[in-house]
Amino acid sequence: MMKRVYIGFTIAFWIAVAAIWGGSLLAPPGQRAVAQSPEPGYTLQDVAAHDSAEDCWMAIGGEVYELTAYLPQHPAPPSVILPSCGTDATRAYNTKNRGRPHSPYAASLLERYRIGRLERPATP
Amino acid sequence: MRVPLPPVVLLAAISIVPAVIALPGTSMTLAGAGAWLGWLGSGLVAASLLLMVREPAFAAWFGDLERMYRWHHGMGTLGYAALLAHPVVIAAASLPEDPAAAWRVLSPAAQSWHTLLAWLALLALMAGLAATFAMRLRYSLWRSLHAMLGIGVLLGLVHILAFEGVTAKSVPVAAAALIALGWRATRADRGGGARPYEVCAVDRPAPRIAAVTLRPLAAPLTVAPGQFVMAAFFEGPHYRGCREYHPYTVSALAPGGSLALSIKALGDCTRHIQSLETGVAARVQGPYGSFLVDRAERPEVWIAGGIGITPFLALLRAQPVTRPTEFYYTFRNGVEAPYLAELRDLAAVQPHLHYHPLAMQEDTAPLYALLAGVTDLPGREIYMCGPPPLIDAVGDWLRHHGVPPRHIHYERFDFR
Repeated sequence: MMKRVYIGFTIAFWIAVAAIWGGSLLAPPGQRAVAQSPEPGYTLQDVAAHDSAEDCWMAIGGEVYELTAYLPQHPAPPSVILPSCGTDATRAYNTKNRGRPHSPYAASLLERYRIGRLERPATP
Repeated sequence: MRVPLPPVVLLAAISIVPAVIALPGTSMTLAGAGAWLGWLGSGLVAASLLLMVREPAFAAWFGDLERMYRWHHGMGTLGYAALLAHPVVIAAASLPEDPAAAWRVLSPAAQSWHTLLAWLALLALMAGLAATFAMRLRYSLWRSLHAMLGIGVLLGLVHILAFEGVTAKSVPVAAAALIALGWRATRADRGGGARPYEVCAVDRPAPRIAAVTLRPLAAPLTVAPGQFVMAAFFEGPHYRGCREYHPYTVSALAPGGSLALSIKALGDCTRHIQSLETGVAARVQGPYGSFLVDRAERPEVWIAGGIGITPFLALLRAQPVTRPTEFYYTFRNGVEAPYLAELRDLAAVQPHLHYHPLAMQEDTAPLYALLAGVTDLPGREIYMCGPPPLIDAVGDWLRHHGVPPRHIHYERFDFR
């Protein structure tokens, strides 16, 4: 019985992995290449215009990220992340929950979605 | 016989604790479900690891060791299934939006070392489980491949701690897994929980069978007839033991705590044990099993296949038969069958015991012909010990002939 569960799940796993890999090869390449040089700068005002699940930018640690494609992958519920869309989310990112920062893995993931620098308005 | 409720409740609790804690922080999306499956799988694997701790008291609480190992396999396999689904479901979540991003979740090349680690963990679990189900492998090879599962678990723990950090979800999983692995390694595999004995006699009751008598060097184990122990043999004057713990049914108990084991050459280690000599150091852990222990006051049928005679032999040597008992001892041929003469003598002085030695090959029809003639077969308690094909075939036949499953008790040899 358990042998069948093992064989069934193992085969299904490899089929799924192969299918996802195949899907990525067939996908149009346009979506992948973002943020070519020279790196643009955005103000918080620019970021604020992208504040929904369908169009979500965030400023984190002085960088601007286009996170729309990533939102469905994030393990926390939308109610936790959506309010950060269109804002400077540095504090939320660094404290996650109960004061813990995100993992180094999260930082490496985030890097892929970077579209530019955050430009601060000149302080008078 | 069923597993008692308390250990089942405890295991269920351990299995679902991380998944329950993770639930409030999980989005009701495919990605959330994928992350959650990781916690479910981790909990199941952690609980399954606690079931390989070979502690006699824990095994007795669970019913017996064989049943505990069956649950270990079941929970481990279900945990594995959840862990396989975990990355696939997370990746599938972004498939419609961005197929390239979906592949980046899985691709060992595109991701950081965390993902590489997770891949290695899954592959180690995959290889270890494949070996686990390949029961025909040589035991020593099977054991080393089965140990791959331990490596898979450790890699998986690093993956969890790297992703999650130290939290209420990751700590119970890591603690349960590490305690179980450490406990098993020190108390069982390295013999920390075993008692010292010494080989004081070796007889050869039949070809390929060694009857080994062990004398305790410290406080002896308290064993009941029908139970088995895990024993390993070490060095002697001219003997180098294979040091592996294997299960052996006790075939005789003597005052002073000595016990006898009848060891048939079934694999590399047990073949080597045939050349055992007196003075060899041994370590024994146990006792395990409930076969022939706490029996109902009802007429009985005993069915032994080959070396499966040992628990019945232990019982007959230890105490008189007090209820009407039909006793069938099946073997391939009279030359290889151990203890024929002793059993005949033991049976001759037991008025309630009807002893039927029976030479037969693969075909079990001669046994069925005899069983069909037993008065009130469905009302009797049936005790069987022998090779798995015999137990399975006779068990089916008995159920087919009206014996309720709760009356059928058996001990199998294929337990690993």
